[in-house]
Amino acid sequence: MTGPFANVWLIVALPLIGFLVQALLGGKVVQTLGPRFGRPAMGALAVLPIAAAFAVGLDLTIKLAQLPPESRTAVVTLFDWITLQSVNVPFELRVDTLSMTMVLIITGIGALIHLYATGYMAEERDYTRFFTYLNLFVAAMLVLVLGNNLVLTFIGWEGVGLCSYLLIGFWYKDVANSKAANKAFIVNRIGDWGFTLGIFGIVVLMAANKDSLGITDARWMSFDVILPYAKDLLAMYPGWATAVAVLLFIGAMGKSAQYPLAIWLPDAMAGPTPVSALIHAATMVTSGIYLLTRMSEWFLASPVAMAIVAGVGALTALIGAATAFGQTDIKKVLAFSTVSQLGYMFIGCGVGAFYAGMFHVLTHAFFKALLFLGSGAVIHAMAHNQDMRNYGNLQRYLPITFATMGIGWAAIAGIPFLFAGFWSKEAILGPAVNQTEAVMLGPLSVGQWAGWVGFLVAAMTACYMTRMMALTFGSGPERWRLLPAHSGHDDHHGHDAHGHDHGHDHHEAHADEHGYFMTDAELEAAHAAEPHEHHHELDAHHKPHEVPVTMWLPLAVLAVFSLGWVGALLYENSAWKLKYWLFPAAKKAAEHAHDGPVATWMLIALSFATSLGGIALGLWLYWRRLPDWEGWDLSKWNPLQKASQRQFGIDEVLGDGSVKAGAAVGSVTWAFDRWVVDGLVNLVGGLGRLFGGVVRKAQSGYVRGYALLMEIGVVAIVGYLLYQIVSAGGAR
Amino acid sequence: MSYQPIPTIDWWAIAPVSIVMVTGIVALLIEMFRPNRNNNTIVAVSLVGLFLAGLSVVPQFSMPFGSSFGGMVVRDYLGLVLQLLLITVCFVAFLFSEPYLREKRIAFAEFYQLALWASAGGMIMVTTENLLMFFLGLEVLGIALYCLTGMCRQELRSEESAMKYFLLGAFGTAFVLMGIAYLYGPTGSLRIDAVSIAVASDQPHFVLMALFGFGLLLVGLCFKSALVPFHQWTPDVYQGAPTNVTAFMASTSKIAAIGALIRVLAAGAPLVSYWFPIMFWVAILSMVVGNFAALVQKDVKRTLGYSSVANGGYMLVAVLAHVQAPEKVSLASTLFFITGYGVMTMGAFAVVSLAARDGKEGTRFQDLHGLWHRAPFAAGCLILFVASLIGVPPTVGFFGKMFIFNDALAAGLLPLALVLAVTSVVSAYYYLGIIQAVFVQEEGAVKNESGRPQAGLNLAVLLCALAIFGISLGAENVLKFMAPAEDGRQPVAERTVAQR
Repeated sequence: MTGPFANVWLIVALPLIGFLVQALLGGKVVQTLGPRFGRPAMGALAVLPIAAAFAVGLDLTIKLAQLPPESRTAVVTLFDWITLQSVNVPFELRVDTLSMTMVLIITGIGALIHLYATGYMAEERDYTRFFTYLNLFVAAMLVLVLGNNLVLTFIGWEGVGLCSYLLIGFWYKDVANSKAANKAFIVNRIGDWGFTLGIFGIVVLMAANKDSLGITDARWMSFDVILPYAKDLLAMYPGWATAVAVLLFIGAMGKSAQYPLAIWLPDAMAGPTPVSALIHAATMVTSGIYLLTRMSEWFLASPVAMAIVAGVGALTALIGAATAFGQTDIKKVLAFSTVSQLGYMFIGCGVGAFYAGMFHVLTHAFFKALLFLGSGAVIHAMAHNQDMRNYGNLQRYLPITFATMGIGWAAIAGIPFLFAGFWSKEAILGPAVNQTEAVMLGPLSVGQWAGWVGFLVAAMTACYMTRMMALTFGSGPERWRLLPAHSGHDDHHGHDAHGHDHGHDHHEAHADEHGYFMTDAELEAAHAAEPHEHHHELDAHHKPHEVPVTMWLPLAVLAVFSLGWVGALLYENSAWKLKYWLFPAAKKAAEHAHDGPVATWMLIALSFATSLGGIALGLWLYWRRLPDWEGWDLSKWNPLQKASQRQFGIDEVLGDGSVKAGAAVGSVTWAFDRWVVDGLVNLVGGLGRLFGGVVRKAQSGYVRGYALLMEIGVVAIVGYLLYQIVSAGGAR
Repeated sequence: MSYQPIPTIDWWAIAPVSIVMVTGIVALLIEMFRPNRNNNTIVAVSLVGLFLAGLSVVPQFSMPFGSSFGGMVVRDYLGLVLQLLLITVCFVAFLFSEPYLREKRIAFAEFYQLALWASAGGMIMVTTENLLMFFLGLEVLGIALYCLTGMCRQELRSEESAMKYFLLGAFGTAFVLMGIAYLYGPTGSLRIDAVSIAVASDQPHFVLMALFGFGLLLVGLCFKSALVPFHQWTPDVYQGAPTNVTAFMASTSKIAAIGALIRVLAAGAPLVSYWFPIMFWVAILSMVVGNFAALVQKDVKRTLGYSSVANGGYMLVAVLAHVQAPEKVSLASTLFFITGYGVMTMGAFAVVSLAARDGKEGTRFQDLHGLWHRAPFAAGCLILFVASLIGVPPTVGFFGKMFIFNDALAAGLLPLALVLAVTSVVSAYYYLGIIQAVFVQEEGAVKNESGRPQAGLNLAVLLCALAIFGISLGAENVLKFMAPAEDGRQPVAERTVAQR
């Protein structure tokens, strides 16, 4: 544990310490100091370790950049962990360009979101529980990206899954939140199934071939031992390469919400908004892309797997964008937008432009976190009402939020040159349509098609994001003034609302659901017991207010990073060019790079057309008013819009369908168990009892009977002995 | 005039038996001097005496093995381990007996003296190679047990079972004595290996007589070990006797009888081809009848009685495997199983004894309902004892059965191994019935309110539970301890084989 990168352990340890502080001391501190001082104190203690970890990460990154590109990899072994006869799995962290990029994203944006959350969650009773989970999440995520072997990556992988589960169900008193948490957890299990099988596949391959490859290092589950041999190994076993790559990708699909495993992410918005920003937009959901980039050698060895990645990515991008049109919940729009953007990243990976995927991870982390935090500010200002139909003309009241979110919007819409999203989108779609890394599936060029779908999705993205901005901030009527008090819209599902700020009528309407945890009487008692936080409904007399500085400061910082200067990372001659930063070997190959059929100027023109066209359409449709076809009256909606709102039935088919199918399979197996298995068992048992009954009959209770049986036994035994000896012709 | 050299007396060899005997006499004297007082002094003195007896066994493990007192007393691993076990069982029985006797209104302190002497008898049985000594131990054990069984005078059932036990016991003893006579006749020897002498004499009628005697001896031992078809007294006596006596008897009698059976069968090796099929079928019948008859019992003590028959069958399998292939199979797994059996039986009966209160005792399954509420600790430990009796891993019962199973396979006794495995599965049914009775309070069940467990009982139960844990966790080491063949001290069967 020496060398220039020795304090990499701090990056993981700091959030972990923060987690322990929050978990062990948090409640006491808040109790002692009172919520007024205790919460800010614990909030500061939650932000601090993340910010410190960011500082350490920055220091290490600078040190890393000073090394020659080929030697920018260091492994720091903290301690021996699993040591078996032929395999050694140490607890080792990998410092390289990829992991440090992820570390900076996680800790940087993580610190900002922690800061934001101190304001957003200020009224929350379980304040420290929230930061306990959040710090633990950051620690787990860092283990995921820093781990130098598959086992550590898997620990981080499961750790973030756990924290995601805990945070989605943070307001567990509302049963819908708990169900959303369960759904996320269960759907991720399917992905984990693939991931673990993929790991096993790699282990089997390595264990079988390490001798023939001449690997003497017992750490043959570590990346720095596996990856250099991946090419030779996979050339020998093309089938294995595809199988392992596809299995790993299934894992990535679960974590990174790709269809058909994307259905958990929209429901995950039940968690508090900072969680949505940090976990379900910026960091955890990108771990799939991280995994693919880390194992890029494996994927490059299998064209089939690459085609699958690109195809799934394109499909997801398309479905996500189409579904976003039908959402009225502002967070749901952003959720489907995230799904869609994650699809982009996988298109990038699938066409071989892994660096472009990572670049989009980076830019998306900024602008999507910005948008989520902005939506949180809006929700906060609107008394936890998330329905965009109840917004309108908020630009007057929330100028900072509007300005910063506007930058985020421009970034995701891909306004050329000035905003970050444009650059990363170009970086993905350019290689895709130009076929720089061929992905062919038979005669079909999946990569190219994925690229064209990407352009279509870009136009759709610009349009639905404009819709969101227009409905929220647009200059139409201030619809929240028209709301009757205690309005009961159909907005209760996936609500970012505290379990206790619903009207009582709400609970009665959902008595069956709440009955899971508390009866109505108990709920009422609970309400009486806790100081009631009064989120008064907005009406003509209550105006929305701009959020406090702890909340808009992160917005501003993120907005700066969503601007176009981030595109400098793509600049060919820059020392920081992300492609060569992540893949030093690509530098040599780049000299042979050739232009594809689609020239750069055509791409840029296409980007202009898609983004500006989409925005124009959106403004024309939505800026002035809320159209009737997506207004409060659902019966007036047009069919397409309705289908979009219902996620085109995907969620119903997959979610409810699998539940029902599972129930059907369950009842069949139960019937088999009940009638066939139990029947056999009962038959055997009945026979046994029958025999026992016969034996019992012999147990008369009379001594003479017992003595008789003994006598019979004696005669039998002695008789047998004598018979034996006589028939043997006397004793020898 | 020639002087016979005075043989050196190996005091250690007889120390454990003597101490237990003397403790019994001291306990009797205390009772005589302090009649009508509580028994606490007697219990204390008895426990100390048993502890000292146990202490006197331990150093003998490192003393030279062999016989002394003209072959009357023998020191070997089998004897020492079983002696230690007998002492432990008696110790545990005394721990929980006093509260039970008070609840049951049994006003006699004689339980302690009789139990101590019975233990001494059992200890004699397992440490001798002389048939007369063996008979002496058998009778000391037997007669004490007859008295103990009938100790609850106000209960007709207790008296009835004592009478049955006595009559049938006398019947069985007659066979033993007759067997000894027939062995002595042709050989003039009272040594346990008289059979080999007869075989060595090469006189066919001698062999015939010896075989006849050997068969009768086996009958007597099968009776004492409660093996089918000489088992029928077992459920009646187990049910009728006071529960603490049942516990004591189930363990002590079984341990002593199986210990003696091991020696006798090992000594019968020269004629093994004649008697082996008999014991083979006795083992199978014991396992099958014991387990299946237990299925239909409604009384916990009767159930455990049949269970004892079945367990005797398991032990016999282990012994037969050893006799069949002494070079491959040591006695270790037999000893291991007996140890486990003693511990878990004591524990189970100790918990069942909680059903007694105010002079009455119901031992049907329904009388145990709600025991969980009254005595949570004891009832919780009952799960452990029952799990061990079933043979759930990783309890001592599991390891014991597994070792026996392996031994049977190693000795080529596949049918015995299979019967053991199958009947063990059957046994789970009635064992779980006990758990169900204790933990599942059925509606309308007779609720048994009192019967508070007392410190002594809890201690006894705790000791048994800890022993089960300890033996399970250190199964390998315990087994190694019980397999001493490595240091040149031959196990019983090998020694007799060597003589042949």
